[in-house]
Amino acid sequence: MPLNDADLVARVLLDDDHHAFAELVRNHQSAVRGLLRQLTRSDFALADDLAQETFLRAYKNIRSFRGEAKFSTWLYRIAYNCFREEARKRKELVGIDEARLEAQQDPQTVDPALKHDLMHALQLLPLPERSAILLCCQNGLSHDEAARVLDIPLGTVKTNVLRGREKLKKTLAAWGPN
Amino acid sequence: MDEQLQEDWLEAQLRQETPYIDDDGFTARVVQSLPAPARRRSFRETILICVTLLASMVTYFVSDGGRFLITAVYRLASMPVLFVGLVAICCALVLSAVAAGAALSNVREQR
Repeated sequence: MPLNDADLVARVLLDDDHHAFAELVRNHQSAVRGLLRQLTRSDFALADDLAQETFLRAYKNIRSFRGEAKFSTWLYRIAYNCFREEARKRKELVGIDEARLEAQQDPQTVDPALKHDLMHALQLLPLPERSAILLCCQNGLSHDEAARVLDIPLGTVKTNVLRGREKLKKTLAAWGPN
Repeated sequence: MDEQLQEDWLEAQLRQETPYIDDDGFTARVVQSLPAPARRRSFRETILICVTLLASMVTYFVSDGGRFLITAVYRLASMPVLFVGLVAICCALVLSAVAAGAALSNVREQR
């Protein structure tokens, strides 16, 4: 029977069990790498480096995980912090040519698939809105959990989600239900 | 376009399961970069050495200064060389088998 996150964390804490930690990485790598790929605007190599750093930090600081939140929420928080630190180092990630991206917000942009357009539209959003949308709407976190991950007030998360959704609706208007 | 319809549609699109990203060696890379497990302070070795020393001392005094060892050496010297050689080979084989078993179990544990 596969062990749940709490059991695996307990094994890591008790025995420094690398096998248990590997199981945790296997269980969460897709979600963490997916989130970071979105945050880094599809820079896969950078996202994977950050994901590796995320898990390394998680291992080193696993004693600070008290089990109050879900393990995945705790991981997202570390991932987001890693991303923010990297973004501060490479300013271009945060302020990434916003003017160019704004100019691309034309709903008529020719993209073959809706998925592609949705990804593209998400990447056009400013970081606070993108992070909030990714965590709440794609990764299924509650507003409260997202506020903890992003370390911002609950009201700000709600505002960012609303604003982001409005922008997405505008950008994807051409794809909407007919 | 109806506002609510569009809202629901967007919700559904966003909630659509994001594609699973194949591990593709990622976990192995992470595990490789982890610091070695902290060696837990164990007193087992110390205890074993102390017990062995204590047992040796007790045996030495109980056996009248290790006289039985001298007797055993005399007895061994009076045995045929072939017999002693065979005993030595058997001992070597048994020790090798035990060592191989221990090595295999260690490898299995590491995997």
